[in-house]
Amino acid sequence: MKVSANTFLCLEDKYIPAHQLAASLVDYAVSRGVNIHKLLRGTRIFSEDLKSNKKISLGQLLQLLSNVRTLTPGYDCAFQIGRRLFPSNYGAVSNALLHSRDFAQALKILGLLRMQICPFFDSTSYQTSQRQYLLINPALGCHTQVQFLSEIYCSALISATKLLFGQRIPMYFSFPFQKPKYIQEYEGNLGYRLSFSQPMFSISFEKKWLTTPCLQRSDGLRRYAIKQAQMHNIPKQGFLQAVRSEINKDRQASLDNIARQFSISPATFKRKLKLHNTHFKQLQDELGKQQATYLLQIQQFSNEQSAHLMQFNDIPNFRRSVKRWTGLTPSQLRLIE
Amino acid sequence: MNLSLLARHPTLFSVLCGTLAVSSSLSIGLGQLKNLSDISWLDVLGEGSLGLLSIVWVFFLLISRPPGKVTSALVIGLCCFLFSASLDFFDEFLTYQDVATGLSMIESIPAAIGMLIMSYALYQWHQEQLVLNQQLRRREHDLRQHDQIDYITKLYGADYMRGQIHNKLTAPPHSDFSIVMLDIDNFDQFNRKFGHAEGDRLLRQISELIIMNLRSSDLACRYAGDRFVLLLPNTSQTLALELAEQVRQAIFHLAYKPDQHPQAIYHNLTFAIDSVRPGDTTDNIIDRVNRNLDASKQLLYPSEVAL
Repeated sequence: MKVSANTFLCLEDKYIPAHQLAASLVDYAVSRGVNIHKLLRGTRIFSEDLKSNKKISLGQLLQLLSNVRTLTPGYDCAFQIGRRLFPSNYGAVSNALLHSRDFAQALKILGLLRMQICPFFDSTSYQTSQRQYLLINPALGCHTQVQFLSEIYCSALISATKLLFGQRIPMYFSFPFQKPKYIQEYEGNLGYRLSFSQPMFSISFEKKWLTTPCLQRSDGLRRYAIKQAQMHNIPKQGFLQAVRSEINKDRQASLDNIARQFSISPATFKRKLKLHNTHFKQLQDELGKQQATYLLQIQQFSNEQSAHLMQFNDIPNFRRSVKRWTGLTPSQLRLIE
Repeated sequence: MNLSLLARHPTLFSVLCGTLAVSSSLSIGLGQLKNLSDISWLDVLGEGSLGLLSIVWVFFLLISRPPGKVTSALVIGLCCFLFSASLDFFDEFLTYQDVATGLSMIESIPAAIGMLIMSYALYQWHQEQLVLNQQLRRREHDLRQHDQIDYITKLYGADYMRGQIHNKLTAPPHSDFSIVMLDIDNFDQFNRKFGHAEGDRLLRQISELIIMNLRSSDLACRYAGDRFVLLLPNTSQTLALELAEQVRQAIFHLAYKPDQHPQAIYHNLTFAIDSVRPGDTTDNIIDRVNRNLDASKQLLYPSEVAL
């Protein structure tokens, strides 16, 4: 089936109200003594936009984030921004989350309205008998800022759950980057269940927490808020996410095939991927790495089973690919957990 | 670049402009232009850069120091030097008639006077620095690293504390010390209720109070968020407990008044203490105290911490 162009968003699509994240970012940086003109340099956002209903693109937002990161003093910048992210200026989206029934439903709503509140990452959830896993992927070519963005959104998640449920839900964070020097900020904001240099970015917690009730549960208000939030009619996925799901359908598909699915020429497709700071091979490899890690490490499946699920015909080829993606053989990968 | 201090030096700024004006009008008024072929460009470059750099130095003095005796002496000294340097510079382009030969004879005298004034000013600066060091006690130990100072509280951050603990562990006269970690209770709630600007102001006031309650050999740093860490040299755990309790009492009695809020808000804090043990490393001391603190917080405020 063809992928229609209005089912996904690109970096240059202007759909985010400037008075939301952009305004909070600017507020925070200014409160830390950063000059607003330097902050907005290169973003094509004007300070008047922040008070208006003007829409900006994710690309502009990423530029602003990178300015904030380089100009704001202190290691706690991302974490402080994260703590202020929710409920903030998100209106209906925040209301829908606040009035949800329990943690499981809040996660579902988050998935539904993700592009409005957490557009940089998409998550896939998996369960084992004990644990709920959220595998996190950058949805829109923000590879260079994954660490800064994960600091923001992980601390937002922790502080939002505190607000929603009146208690802190113990979560395990696995980050794909190295352990930073300022580990105290991670410990202070996210807790001590942290691991770094992991093959993939994931958040997990025990399944029993899924039924934690929300303090402000209200079914009527929630339904209304969801309806209101959906009136914006924003595609539910980012471009890279759309490409990933196409690759997932057929792992052997070539670039030309996928481009055809998107009804664009291979050259345009390549250009578009480049605009999102990635290329086709990289996406394929990332996906392979993620799936292999999930199947072998989390689910502890056998080589045969995993190879079959990942559409590999022979085991040696599978072993070689796993080694190339993760640097570990399948059996080593299984031992980590 | 922060130029706010520049506006507070109108007199010194006119001294600078006056120096340049007098030296240029004297030279240009009394001299005649040389032939182009007579000009030694190497000298122009050398003497020109002397003059230019002394202007840069004056500029940095003006934007970095508040007005006062030391600042004035430094700027006036540099201006005298600049006067000579600029006369030297103009010399390269001009020849003087007999009347004005005196000018080139005396041109180096202001530089000498300037150097004398600068030496006096530097001595004064040294005295001033000693006084400032006293002011910084309990905020700073034997090392100054301005880039590690926290923006909100102006205390040093966790990196600085790690460095200091490391020094204490490795320095030869092995001495005992205690570490106190303290954390403000329900700070998140306060932030939510009164806004983050108020939260920042509260952190500043609390850091002042902590400093006031320490001995001059102690050091306080901001660890992360609302968590502070104290380094108490040559202190047993019992004494550390007493000191930490005094800090807690002081903060407990702080009647913090948020803006546009009639009632004062009181705060409490939880702390944990540990002393150095044989074979300790920086990370495991900090980790131990942190975990102690989280364990006590967990007991008191189960919803705040997840262990």
